[in-house]
Amino acid sequence: MPLNIDWQQILLHLLNFTILAFGLYLLLYNPIKKFMKKREDEYRERDEKTRNALAEAEEKAGEYARRIAESEKEIAEKMADADRELSLARETKLKETAAEADALLARARSDAQAEKEKMLEEANAQIESVVSEMAEKVILKGGESAAYDAFLSAAKKNGEKHES
Amino acid sequence: MKKQKTVVCAVFGAIILALIAGIVLTDSLYTRTESVSETMQDAVLHEKNKISVFGTEVNPGLVSAFIVTAAVLVFAAIVRIFAVPRFRIVPGKFQMLLETLVGYFDGQAKNGSPHRNSFLGAYVFAAGVYIFVGTALELFGLQAQATSGVSVALPAPLSDINGAIALGCLSYLVILSGGIVGNGIRGVGKTLKDFSLPVSMSFRLFGALLSGALVTELVYYYKALSFVLPVVVGVLFTLLHALIQTYVLVMLTSLFYGEVSEPRKKQKKKLKTEKTEV
Repeated sequence: MPLNIDWQQILLHLLNFTILAFGLYLLLYNPIKKFMKKREDEYRERDEKTRNALAEAEEKAGEYARRIAESEKEIAEKMADADRELSLARETKLKETAAEADALLARARSDAQAEKEKMLEEANAQIESVVSEMAEKVILKGGESAAYDAFLSAAKKNGEKHES
Repeated sequence: MKKQKTVVCAVFGAIILALIAGIVLTDSLYTRTESVSETMQDAVLHEKNKISVFGTEVNPGLVSAFIVTAAVLVFAAIVRIFAVPRFRIVPGKFQMLLETLVGYFDGQAKNGSPHRNSFLGAYVFAAGVYIFVGTALELFGLQAQATSGVSVALPAPLSDINGAIALGCLSYLVILSGGIVGNGIRGVGKTLKDFSLPVSMSFRLFGALLSGALVTELVYYYKALSFVLPVVVGVLFTLLHALIQTYVLVMLTSLFYGEVSEPRKKQKKKLKTEKTEV
């Protein structure tokens, strides 16, 4: 054959390369590729898990934000209710207090009036006793007319004092 | 410090002188059995210096191919037993190297043939490793005894025309198989359309790797060229060739495989359905 081409040697080369290719596939290419694929899958799985966790976290964050907004609204409503109740209670209490004060005042006035009257009665009684005592003394010391005059002037003075 | 430098320089100079003396003194021990033209012709055709393997005379390239296969498979077995079970999610340097290697060939297969690439990835990985390691084998300068009694340096397996034809034709068969699996008879037609592909692939490999081998042979034939120059030649014509030819074959196989296995687009039917909808 020209160029020293030898079919037997070509076949030997082919056999040699086939053995090499098969051996390399079994020993290096396939195991390394499998390992790389496994790692790729693992990273993809991790990535997917992380994405899911992130989405879940975002969803939870949204839910919590919504809940916080709802709670704030509820708190604001409750505070407004409480303010309303407080003002109502304050007004009621003020009214009650004013009524109590009025009642107390009225009672004090009536008590004062009663005291005044009692004092007046006591004073009149004292005057009467003083007058009778003085009349007795005048009668005992002087005539009847002088006693009578003294009694009248004393009664007059007493009456003016009470009127003022 | 200065004294140390002087000592190092003196030792280095002594070694160089001893080597030159050895080269000059041993030169008369060896006589050249063939002229430069005979050496070059034998490097191309391997008609004269054959090696006996189990009683069969074969080209040195085939022996190189066996050595490459054995070395690569032993290395792969060691890696499979000791390194792969210890692979970690965060890779170390060696694991990174292996993953980059597999990932690169797998990526080439996916880029060239996005529709169908699992078998193609495994094939281009094996072909790439074979071409690269086989070409880099030249750097080691392994010697074998020819049947004629002379010692021959083992060349790259693909600088042997038989090895190049084998790999070129196998790549074509892989492309053809992709066409059949992807498109049936139409795929066969598509592949057969590029009937020159096995020849072009084979001879591209053969020519590229042979040129490197020839330049290396030429450099090593003359004693005067055997200093410093082999370093440049080794890098340029061996390592770069190894990388470039690996890339070229892998890329071409992937592209042709992708082209013939690509499913046919059903445009006519779509047009018809669009018209009926209108």
